[in-house]
Amino acid sequence: MRRVVVAAIALAILPATPAHAYEFWLRAQSIGQAYQLRQYRLVGPDLFQGRRRYTQTIALRISDIGNLSATRRQQRIPDRGLRITWQSYLRIDHDFGQYTSGRITLSPAVRRDAIDVIPELADSAAGLDLLYGHVTLEGLADDRLTIQLGRVLADDGWGTSGLDGGTVRYELPIPLAVTASAGLRVRAASPLGLTAFELDGTSGAGCQEYVEGPAPGTGTWKLIDRNRRITGSKLASDFELCPQREVRQPSIGASIATARVRGFGAEVGYRRTWSETYGLIDGVDRLANPDLGLYPDDVGQAPASGVNEERLHARVHGELRRGALAISPYANARFSLLHAALDRADAGVRVRRGEHSVEPTVGYFLPTFDGDSIFNVFSIEPTADARLGYEYEGTLALRASGWLRRYLHADASPMSGGVEAGIEHPFGERWRARLDGLWDDGYGGRRIGGTGEVAWTPRASLWLRGRMIVLGVRREDRSDFVTSSAVVSSSLRIADAVALHLVASADRDEVHELQTRVFAIIDLAFAPEP
Amino acid sequence: MKFLRYLPLLVIAAALGAAVVRAEDDRSVSWSPIVYPEQRLPLVFSHRIHLAKGATCATCHPAATTSRSAVDNLIPTEAACRVCHPIDRAEPMKVVAGAPPAACVACHPGWTPDKPVERVYLTPPPLKFDHSAHAKAPCARCHGDMTKVDLATTRQLPTMSSCLSCHTDGGEERRCADCHVTRPGGQVETQFPHGALVPRSTGMGDAHGLGFAKDHTQEARQVGATCTACHDRSECLACHQGVVKPMEFHPGNYVLTHGVEAKRGTPDCSACHRAQSFCASCHERSGVGARVTSGFDATQPGRAFHPPGWATAGMGPNRHKDEARRNITSCASCHREEDCLTCHSNEPGKLRASPHPRGWRSSARCEALDRGNRRMCLRCHITQDELGCNWSAP
Repeated sequence: MRRVVVAAIALAILPATPAHAYEFWLRAQSIGQAYQLRQYRLVGPDLFQGRRRYTQTIALRISDIGNLSATRRQQRIPDRGLRITWQSYLRIDHDFGQYTSGRITLSPAVRRDAIDVIPELADSAAGLDLLYGHVTLEGLADDRLTIQLGRVLADDGWGTSGLDGGTVRYELPIPLAVTASAGLRVRAASPLGLTAFELDGTSGAGCQEYVEGPAPGTGTWKLIDRNRRITGSKLASDFELCPQREVRQPSIGASIATARVRGFGAEVGYRRTWSETYGLIDGVDRLANPDLGLYPDDVGQAPASGVNEERLHARVHGELRRGALAISPYANARFSLLHAALDRADAGVRVRRGEHSVEPTVGYFLPTFDGDSIFNVFSIEPTADARLGYEYEGTLALRASGWLRRYLHADASPMSGGVEAGIEHPFGERWRARLDGLWDDGYGGRRIGGTGEVAWTPRASLWLRGRMIVLGVRREDRSDFVTSSAVVSSSLRIADAVALHLVASADRDEVHELQTRVFAIIDLAFAPEP
Repeated sequence: MKFLRYLPLLVIAAALGAAVVRAEDDRSVSWSPIVYPEQRLPLVFSHRIHLAKGATCATCHPAATTSRSAVDNLIPTEAACRVCHPIDRAEPMKVVAGAPPAACVACHPGWTPDKPVERVYLTPPPLKFDHSAHAKAPCARCHGDMTKVDLATTRQLPTMSSCLSCHTDGGEERRCADCHVTRPGGQVETQFPHGALVPRSTGMGDAHGLGFAKDHTQEARQVGATCTACHDRSECLACHQGVVKPMEFHPGNYVLTHGVEAKRGTPDCSACHRAQSFCASCHERSGVGARVTSGFDATQPGRAFHPPGWATAGMGPNRHKDEARRNITSCASCHREEDCLTCHSNEPGKLRASPHPRGWRSSARCEALDRGNRRMCLRCHITQDELGCNWSAP
C-alpha cells in the first residue's frame, strides 16, 4: 500500500508546473527576554527566579496565489474575480530559566521539578502555536462569496476564537451578508493549539489518564507524570480529568449582517459548541465515577455529550453626520442560551465635532464559563459600568476618561471608579512628550500616579524613548506602597524593514527594592509609528 | 444630598460637551496630507476667470476623460496655454492688446530673466483612480464649484468622504484596496516618505487618538470593521495573546500592582489571559498559590494569605463568598474548582454548602444548564434523586 501511495505522489509531482513567485508579506520577530520574578517568603529573604524567554513569531501572507488577479493589479484596477490568499501566524515560545526548569522544595527532604509540581508551567516552558493559518478564496460567485479554510478566527461579536474548519460568507442581492462557520474549536490540546483559545480561564493543566489493568475494565485513573496525590473527588475538577479537556469540541456558528450600507451596521449571530463525554474506551464505559445508572437513556454513565457554549449575539451601530457634527451610537449584547442569561451588554454614543469627541457608555457583565465549569452554578453577581471619555486630536492630543463600576450584589453593592487623563505634544519634528495621570478608588483598592514619557528621533533611523512611572497603591487588606519604574527603549532601523528594538526597565518599591528586565527584538517587518 | 456626590462628574460632562459643541472643524472631510502630499504651486491662475470666459474643464484637461491612473499628470502644459495666450519665450514681457496675458510674470509671479522659472511640484497621490470610469459624472461632483476658485489646490480634490457618498460600500474592509495602493500581501500601504497613513474618522469612529492603543473595543467590534485592511491579524494577537508585556496597557511594575485591577475585574483579565495557566502558574511559582508549599499558613496567626473569617467551616463570616460573587475569576487565578468542592459539594463527607444563588431550583438558569450539560451537575450530585432542578435537599 505504501508503494502505491509513494508512486501516486511521484506521479503527481513529476508533471508539476514550474513554481511561481507570488507576492508575499512576512513579518518575523525574534524576541529575547531576561528578567526575574520574586518568590515570596514570609520567613527569610525572598528568592529570585530567572525567566529567560526566547520567542520567534512568523506572520506570513501570500497574496493572489496563482496570479489570478495580476493583470488587474498591474493596471491598478480594483481586484475582482477569484483571488487566493494564504495567511498564517506561527509562534515558538521557550522559557529556559529557573521559572520553568527550576526545582521546588516541598519539604526539607523533598525537592521536585517545578514543572511536575505546577503542571501549568508547561504552557510557558515550550510552545509551538499556530494562532491561525488558513487559505482564503474570495471573489467567487460574482464577488459575493468568500471562503476560508484551515485554522480560522471566528468573531462572535464579543471576542475571537480559533476554529479548525472553515467559514463561508455570502453577500445577498439585498444589502445583507450571511456568514456560517463550522469546525473544531481550538483547545490547548489541539495540534499546535493555543491555551488562550480555551473557552474560559478556569480549566487547569493537570491530567489524569486511564491506565488499563491486566483485564479490560480493571484499570485505574492515574495522574500523568505528576508527583502528587489527588486530593479531591475524582470528578471534582476537569483540572484532574484531562481527557475531558482533550476531546474534540465541534462548533457551529452563523450570523447575518448588513453589507454595503453606509452609516449603519447590524449583526445577529449564533454559536454552539459541544463535546462528547469522555469515558468510553474501546466501547467500554471506563468513567472514574461509580456506575449508578443515572442516565439509562444515554450511552454509558454520563450524558453522551454536553454543551460547552451556546450563545446569541447582536450588535448595531450607526453614524449620523450633520456638518462637522458626527454622532455614532452603538449597542452590543450577548445572551447565553446555556445559562439562560444576558451575560454581556453595552451601549454608548460617540459625539464628535471637529477635533473633539466625547463618549458616554454603559455596560453590563455577568461572568459565564465553559459548560463543564461548576462556576456556572455558583451565586455570581453581575456588574454594571458607566464611562465617560473625551478626546482632543489637534496638534496637542488630549484624552480624559472617568469610569464607575457597581457590583450588583444582592446584599451590598460596592463601587469602584476612577479617572485618567493624558496629554501629548510634539516639540519640533524630533521630540515628543507625553504625560498621563491616574486616580481610582473603591472596591479593590486605591491607586494614584502618573507617567511621563519623552521620545526623541535623533535621526531618521533611530528612535529613543524614556518613560518614568510613579504609582501609589493602597489595597484594602494590605499595606500601602509606592512603586516607581523607569523604562528606556530604542529602535534602530538597520535596513529598510529591519529593526532592532532594545528595552530595559527597572522597578523600585519599598517592598521589593530593585527589579530589572531587559529584552531585545529583531523585527524583520519594521514599520515606524506615525 | 446623594446628588452632590455626582456633581463633579456632571460638571466635567458639561464642560466636555461644551467643548465639543464649540468645535468647528470636521476632520473627516479635511484633506489628508499623506494622500495629498504638500504641493508647491508658484503660479497665478484663475479657474473662475477661465470658466467665465466659456472654457470647459476638458478644454485644458483633455486627458481627464481617458486617464486610468492617479499618477497621470493632467495639468495643462504651456503648449495648452498657448492656444489662447500668445506666449513667446523670446519676449518674456510680451503684451498684446486685447489678447489674454502673455508675459511670463502673468502666470509665474516674481519671475525675472536672470533666474529659472520656479518649478511646480505635484506629488501624485498614493491612490488608484480611474478618471475615465468617472467621466460620466460632472466634474463639480468631485472637484466642487470651480467657478469660484482661482488657483486650484488639494482643496479641490475629493476627500474620502465625498468618494463614499457614492461608493456606499467603500468604507468596508474589502473595498479599501479598491482605491488605496497595497503592499505585497494585499494590505493597504501605510508607510510613505512623507509620513504614515492613519485613519481620520472617515470610517465609523476609526480615528487613532491618544487613547486608541489602550481602548479600541468599539472600533474593532463594529460590523465591517476595517482594521485588517491595514493591520495584519498578527498585530492584534501580538498584544492580546502576547509574550511581551504591552507597556501601554500594563505600565511599570504591573506584577506588583495588578492585584487591584484583578480584584475589580476591570479590565477583564480573561480577555487575554487564561486564569488557571497564566495566572495560577505564576502565583504558584511565586509562592502565593494554593497548592505549593509557601510561607503562608492559614492555621498560623499572622501568616494567612486571606484575612480572618475568610472561609470558615460552618457558621461564620465566610467573607470569601462576597468576593467570589463579585469576581470568581480572581479566585480561579489561584484556586481550582476542586478547592471550592471541598465544601460546596453534596458528596458524602463534604460540607454540603450550597453554592447556588437563591431561588436556584426554580430558576431558568438551572433548567437551561441542566438541559445543556449535566456533566457539571455530576461533580456534586451523584444520585438520581439529586439531579435536575426539582430536587430538594434533605
